[in-house]
Amino acid sequence: MTGEKQKHEILESALDFINSSHSSSRREFFLMTGGLIIAFSASGAKAAKEGPVIIMDQAEGLVIADPTKCVGCRRCELACTEFNDGKASPTIARIKISRNLNFGVNGIPTGQRGGGAWGNGLVIQDICNQCPHPVPCANACPNDAIVVRPPTNARVVDSKRCSGCKMCRRACPWEMMSFDSGTNKATKCFLCDGSPKCVEACPSGALTYAAWRDLTGKIPPRVAPTAIVAPEKAQTCNECHKK
Amino acid sequence: MAKHGGWAGKVLRVDLSTGKISTEDTLEKYRDYLGGTGIGYKVIWDEVQAGVKSFDPANKIVYGVGPLAGTGAPCNGRTAITTLWPTCWPKALVASGHMGGQFAAELKYAGYDAIIIEGRADRPVWLSVWDEKVEIKDARQLWGQGIRRTTIEINQQMGPEASVAAIGQAGENLAPMSVVMNSYSHSAGGVGGVMGSKNLKAIGVRGTGSVRIAGNKEEWEKLIKLHLSLLGANNQHVVPSNPQPWAEHYNAGSRWMASAGRRWGAANPSIDTGACEPHNLNRIAYRTNNAAYFLGDKAWQHTVRGNGCTACPIRCHTMLKVPAVSAKYGIPELGQNTCVGLLFGRAFFKSFPDGPKGQTAIEACMVGMYLADDLGVWDNYGQLQRDFQALYYNGIFKRKVAEKEFNSYSWNKYEQGDPTFLFELLPRIANKEGELATALGLGTGHLLERWGIPEQEWLENHDLLYWKLGHPKHHSNEDAGQCGVIINTQYNRDAQCHSHSNFTRNGLPIEVQKRLAAELWGSPDAVDAVAAFTPMNAHKAKMAKWSLLRKELHDCLSLCNWMGPWVASPLKEREYRGDDSIESLLYSLATGDKKSRQELDTIAERIFLLHRALTIRDMGAKDMRTKHDTIPDWVFTDPKDKAAFSKGTIRMDKEDIKLAMDMFYEEMAWDKETGSPTKATYRRLGLGTVADELAKRGLLP
Repeated sequence: MTGEKQKHEILESALDFINSSHSSSRREFFLMTGGLIIAFSASGAKAAKEGPVIIMDQAEGLVIADPTKCVGCRRCELACTEFNDGKASPTIARIKISRNLNFGVNGIPTGQRGGGAWGNGLVIQDICNQCPHPVPCANACPNDAIVVRPPTNARVVDSKRCSGCKMCRRACPWEMMSFDSGTNKATKCFLCDGSPKCVEACPSGALTYAAWRDLTGKIPPRVAPTAIVAPEKAQTCNECHKK
Repeated sequence: MAKHGGWAGKVLRVDLSTGKISTEDTLEKYRDYLGGTGIGYKVIWDEVQAGVKSFDPANKIVYGVGPLAGTGAPCNGRTAITTLWPTCWPKALVASGHMGGQFAAELKYAGYDAIIIEGRADRPVWLSVWDEKVEIKDARQLWGQGIRRTTIEINQQMGPEASVAAIGQAGENLAPMSVVMNSYSHSAGGVGGVMGSKNLKAIGVRGTGSVRIAGNKEEWEKLIKLHLSLLGANNQHVVPSNPQPWAEHYNAGSRWMASAGRRWGAANPSIDTGACEPHNLNRIAYRTNNAAYFLGDKAWQHTVRGNGCTACPIRCHTMLKVPAVSAKYGIPELGQNTCVGLLFGRAFFKSFPDGPKGQTAIEACMVGMYLADDLGVWDNYGQLQRDFQALYYNGIFKRKVAEKEFNSYSWNKYEQGDPTFLFELLPRIANKEGELATALGLGTGHLLERWGIPEQEWLENHDLLYWKLGHPKHHSNEDAGQCGVIINTQYNRDAQCHSHSNFTRNGLPIEVQKRLAAELWGSPDAVDAVAAFTPMNAHKAKMAKWSLLRKELHDCLSLCNWMGPWVASPLKEREYRGDDSIESLLYSLATGDKKSRQELDTIAERIFLLHRALTIRDMGAKDMRTKHDTIPDWVFTDPKDKAAFSKGTIRMDKEDIKLAMDMFYEEMAWDKETGSPTKATYRRLGLGTVADELAKRGLLP
């Protein structure tokens, strides 16, 4: 087996392992890979000393949105922030309606020919995809403050580690990272630990909490990410993906 | 972050004459007045002298919201705009217009509880409010443009999230019958010309901040869920309009239109509104379809979805898609509005070739919305269209307008119910072209005066529904007998109060209503079945007082009085009770200022009293009973001459209504003879200095 083929297979099996609900310990798997620079951020597991966090356990769930049912009331944004943060604040809401509400995802240039209340009426609800590896926001964080949290394995901001640098905002192609100027921390969808407030709050049943599936290739990005991946993390990428 | 929950903490003041922009501390200056109309009345009382006219630079406009605006409290999307009212005849008195949409919430997120506009700019301007950055901007490029283009151009500068409240050509041209409009379809009538007189084309607001909930967030969540569980459909109709598997009662007059098989037909794919069982809070938005309510079953196939204000699960604006209008009239195939805004175009016509609920009627609505909501023409709660029909069919237009001008209208199209007629009429009203259109744009009172028509003719006409001061009735005897009449005497425009009608028209059987009424107003006799009215009693006066105070409270807190109060509910297990304390519970938790229902009602009474004092001061009269609180003659007649209190009539009895006013004044602790509040009442409600000022002018009873 050539070196590069070996690496590829290891990566594949690593991903398979994560995608399965394998019960054997992550440490065991880590040993199995023969000291390769891979570590897992899982429940309480610290990043291995050998290298920075790169691969995360797959999320268990995500919020799925049906735009044809959205009535544009923004109760989801308000439930998200009032019931979690004690303040009404669409700016930090982890589901985003306001920006698409009037003119749709393509914004003002489309005027009355686009989406939203001024266009065809359709309001696209922007939701966090709970990305599979590589998780753009987590990879961009210089403090490794975006971690996996059980039971949903949502990618969440560990506010103790977050320095408020906003690099994560520049990394997410869907612009789903928010910045709370009140706390000076980033924030993102954490699936309310399995019972999302937005889903409960929707008066038209347009939101569903469902088993995770990969939507990253299906939902068009809003922006081209401009975040820089730190060299030591890039090194980890190279280690795994080197041909 | 603000010290208090709920309020943003600052009031923005912009003097367009000098360009000075400043802020005030909301609670320091306006705490006793809560917000909304409370701040509005306070500013007008303190700062605008009696005798100022609507379009004078000395008049002010107060865009006020309250501590609940921008929160998740259901139905908080309304902005109250207070000013001297240009359609109030024979002279301008204080009144307020109310717009929904996203403006109220956005203003709070920007950090303001109100905007006070004063003076007059020396050229067209618009106001940009972007969090703490406030700028007066050149609007010469926007002047002459409709509301839609104006909004889009301002959104280009401020981003798609900004909420823009703009006037159209009608407001620019100082037509009193003009609106300010935000969020595509949410308008406040009467205010457009006042903005135009100040050369203020629009206010764009973008807020990135937040509204803090002072109380415990788990308690807040519980309270919000309680409130949601008590909601009905639009106008708080708590039973469905036709039988449902879950429903004990139904009522054909209900706006709770959802039912299996009734589909949002223009959604793609279409959506069945279904049973909408009241405990399922994820289906509240499907209950209401005001297009179907007003335009009949045909509207279902055109329904894209419901739309409405921030945080309101009741989507009272219906978005319609009518592809035929695109080719036929050259207008967009989508349109949206509610109630009289939805019916704006249809209401001009006496009949249509395919009936009042046919396709042409829907097309007339689409054309009407397209034109009126861009030009910014107001219809004074349908009075414009009722006047129009009367003036045409009684030959008054023909007599009052020069022949050449009269003949320039395609009256054959009008008579045939052809919606293209609206393209001839509405732009001319907005642009004040010709005598006919200019007079219509003045509002009823000033139009009658201009054309030498005695107001008495309008007061006697049962079909016109005209009440007084240039304005129509708004939920009067047809919905709540004497209580409705009392309420319609109190304001300086149409009353806009729904507290009483949202109860009497909630769809519950009269026995249930009477049981609830006994708990609320002390006796089951407080309410009658509609058109089976009984003579006046003290409990009806209590209900009238309660209704007025809750309306004022809602206008100050930013709760929608088109939905509240919530004293009945769709919940059988609660025996259809709502909760009379929901306003005080929301206020207390949001702000952290704990107030009981009674304490909050007392504040509302103070605010309502200040409105009364302003009316007395600016009329220069204390005999309100005969000079202000008047009742049109048609209320005491019946088209079939049925006697008052007989079944099937809304006719009231003159002597009984005198007693009703006596009882109401007594309930308010006002002087019975004049209908003016007494010095003791002003003092009791903390308005001693207001009483002193009125005393100086000889305006105390």
